[in-house]
Amino acid sequence: MFAYEKRLQYPVKIKNTNPDIAKLVISQYGGPDGEMSASMRYLSQRYTMPVKKVGGLLTDIGTEELNHLEIICAIVYQLTRDLTEEQVKTAGFDAYYIDHTKALWPQAAAGVPFTALEFQSKGDALADLFEDLAAEQKARTVYDNLLRVIDDPDVRAPLKFLRAREVVHFQRFGEALEMTKETLNQKNFYWTNPEFDR
Amino acid sequence: MSSKDLCCCAEQMAMATVPRQEWCEPYDLCTALKEGTIFPCLNLAFYKAPLGESAQKPVSDSPDDGQRNRETAMNRLMEVGFAINDLTLYLDTHPSCPKGLSLFHRLSEERLKLLADFAGNFYPLTQLSMVTGNTDPNEYGWTEGPMPWEGACI
Repeated sequence: MFAYEKRLQYPVKIKNTNPDIAKLVISQYGGPDGEMSASMRYLSQRYTMPVKKVGGLLTDIGTEELNHLEIICAIVYQLTRDLTEEQVKTAGFDAYYIDHTKALWPQAAAGVPFTALEFQSKGDALADLFEDLAAEQKARTVYDNLLRVIDDPDVRAPLKFLRAREVVHFQRFGEALEMTKETLNQKNFYWTNPEFDR
Repeated sequence: MSSKDLCCCAEQMAMATVPRQEWCEPYDLCTALKEGTIFPCLNLAFYKAPLGESAQKPVSDSPDDGQRNRETAMNRLMEVGFAINDLTLYLDTHPSCPKGLSLFHRLSEERLKLLADFAGNFYPLTQLSMVTGNTDPNEYGWTEGPMPWEGACI
């Protein structure tokens, strides 16, 4: 079960309103490689993982991704909470404002709503772990892209923190891959699907 | 030869290999939170956001002593809490590393105390700390304090 601890994993304290940046950062909430997609991916895959410790790792990383989703939402919220009527009209936030006002809604930077089609839960340990390794790389790319175009140090600090987490998670999924390989046929890792052929 | 005779680490065709992390001496907890990992060997920065960039001051210049004390306490909790998060993932794949285990136990004890102190001095961050922090049993307390996303208490 999940229990709430009333704090963020990393502090978010943004002084300046900036709907332009909010529109970009929201992609890591509901976008194709965002934190919601990451969390749902790992928390869905864990049930059928053949190596128990890998199921544990997926639970812990999937839980951490929920913390990250909350950090991203806090960034978007603080960038837009003092939004004026004038800023709504001029700052490129107008289309989002029409549908959601200042509320948080999971979508990609280009407006595509969050969809489970962005991730896979394949039921094959190797296929799923490679999906997870790729997911961490794609999320890192998005953070790199955000850090390229965003100057506000109040926003950069949490983005930089989140980017570093992607690299660490990649390493852990790599170790999970090694742990899984140890349990497979050593001459041919593809001989069976350990999530089905038991 | 049974399949178990082959070294599990041997590289094979059509399969990727990721090296296992060796224990490396962790950062101090303040640096670890700023950088996003306790392990220097895993801190692989992007050139547009190099190491040590974060300029955020953990505690504000607020003239209000209460606010500053609260921020100081929250900041320590974040540092310790994050180190435990990162260490948890390390231990998930290195469950018998003695250095990792001893750090995990030390930090978890500190976290328990920090949560109790925070509940006693300010407001509870977890429901259990409503008991460990000796808060007033006649007051609910769980609804006290700013919501985390307000940025009021870092």
